[in-house]
Amino acid sequence: MADKDKVYKCLSPVGIESSVETYPLAPRLDKLDGKTIHFSITGEPDITIALDKKLKADYPSVNWTQKKSYMPMPVYLTEEEMKTTDAVILGVCW
Amino acid sequence: MPYLAKLEKAGIPTALIDFDDQHEMVKQEALTAGVPNIRYIPASRTTPGPEDVEQWIEPMLELLTKPLTEKEKESGMYTPSQDRVLFEGTLDEAQEFYQQTRVVPEPLNAPISVYTDGLPIIIPTEERVAEMLKGTSHKPEDLITYQSDRGGRFDRPMHKGDVVRFQPRSFTATVEKVAINAVMAGCKPEHLPVVLAIAESGVQTGTTVFNNQWMCLSGPVVKEIGINTGLGMMGPGNPAGMAIGRAYQLMAINLGGAVPGISRMSSIGSPINRVGLCFAECADKLPPGWKGLNEEFGFKKDESVVMVMGSEGGFNGAQFSPGGYRALQKSGHGGMARKLGVKGVPGPHNWLDWILPDIWVGDREGGRAFVMVHEMAKHLYDIGFKSKDEVLEYIWKKSFEPLKKYRDRSWVDLFTNGWLGNEPLSGKPWKELPDDYMVPAGGNSPQESCIIVCGSDEEICYEITATIRGMWGMQPVYSIDAWR
Repeated sequence: MADKDKVYKCLSPVGIESSVETYPLAPRLDKLDGKTIHFSITGEPDITIALDKKLKADYPSVNWTQKKSYMPMPVYLTEEEMKTTDAVILGVCW
Repeated sequence: MPYLAKLEKAGIPTALIDFDDQHEMVKQEALTAGVPNIRYIPASRTTPGPEDVEQWIEPMLELLTKPLTEKEKESGMYTPSQDRVLFEGTLDEAQEFYQQTRVVPEPLNAPISVYTDGLPIIIPTEERVAEMLKGTSHKPEDLITYQSDRGGRFDRPMHKGDVVRFQPRSFTATVEKVAINAVMAGCKPEHLPVVLAIAESGVQTGTTVFNNQWMCLSGPVVKEIGINTGLGMMGPGNPAGMAIGRAYQLMAINLGGAVPGISRMSSIGSPINRVGLCFAECADKLPPGWKGLNEEFGFKKDESVVMVMGSEGGFNGAQFSPGGYRALQKSGHGGMARKLGVKGVPGPHNWLDWILPDIWVGDREGGRAFVMVHEMAKHLYDIGFKSKDEVLEYIWKKSFEPLKKYRDRSWVDLFTNGWLGNEPLSGKPWKELPDDYMVPAGGNSPQESCIIVCGSDEEICYEITATIRGMWGMQPVYSIDAWR
């Protein structure tokens, strides 16, 4: 057999991807009124300042909480804060 | 994304605001985090905030209230294929297979190679990979782990023995996987310990701006593998430098899963990363008393290391003509001598005063890697700088500027966290400092910069925008000897 016809086993250069257990999304809220919704701000103040103002103005019956970072990484809720938070909006990085 | 996943798993519904061109990345990261159906909505890159928010605030809030679909209620196990043999066939057939492309949609909308950098590769047959593995004593099945404790990204420390996660997909890799990529890049077995040390860095590719990935070798390995430290050391022609540089980029593609337009979002891209850039310092031509990179970072002179950098910024050449530089130093003639006020006075003169502090004007703040030819390093030595540290201290002190001016920079809004924290040197709140408070544009310490000496003779200096001791929060120097 000519070399050009020889069959080779060629190996995969791709990294090892772990198996992942996938989860359903959390059940959604039945309504916004009276809920504690956390706004996790990560950069893009042109958007987040405007959003923050409008959320508070248009949805006054929501208990809005907020943590802010200019970095891509959000400031996390503590375990205690998670217990009293009904939903989280995060943006614009994550 | 792990944070959003944690919240969803804890029963807290989330809504993510991203940009249109980031959806593929969101989906990929969401899967990796175990919540493949995460809900997101794009903001605009161009519409002013108030107008933009008006358009999507209601659908954004619906992400929190709209009942889950059947698909969103699903749980299960994502088990990707992990075949060791990717293809069987002739070498010609294999070349065609490994050259396959996929079209990545807007904002790219062009074919992108699945397994390569777009160029033909050396086919990683079992036989070639086995030969490559002779370059290390590590077993093929050994996972790539950190060989020493080191600071980690976003202040997460890495400990010796921790498994390296290759970004952006958080894949892991074995020694064999690295060897496969080394074969594809054209490396020889004697290059493998270098490539393994580079793999230990996780071969990151940066974010959305212009991250340049480059590597600099130091120690005996430089001569062992014959990497160019002289004229043209950053250019083409040297097999070791070319192949090792390319190995970084192939590992980023294959071990990291970095795909332009999906998970590698550098807006225009960088020519530095087109094939890969690896070079080495010329330790033989360091001025007396100046340490090599290996010793600067706590290794011994006879230990081999690689500095793995991702620098967010430019590769700027000091903009003087080599002839003008010689005129300055030989006899005090020309424009450089006029600027320094040494007309007619023979050198050596401090040429740094010609480029400082202007390198930070109109350019990004932070450290620099100064890559200079040996003659220019010798001139600094001759005028009194008996160590690199003395030079770096001098450069740093020249970088101070009033806070009023510093505030006008762009990245500082981000890195001061919106000026909410304290100025690092004084420890005082940024917002309480007066306009004339002096801030170092050259980084928080002299050691954010470094000096690399090149063996070429033509008088040139590069200033690479780079925070040497902490890019991505990682200590950037890795032992090659640990991977022999």
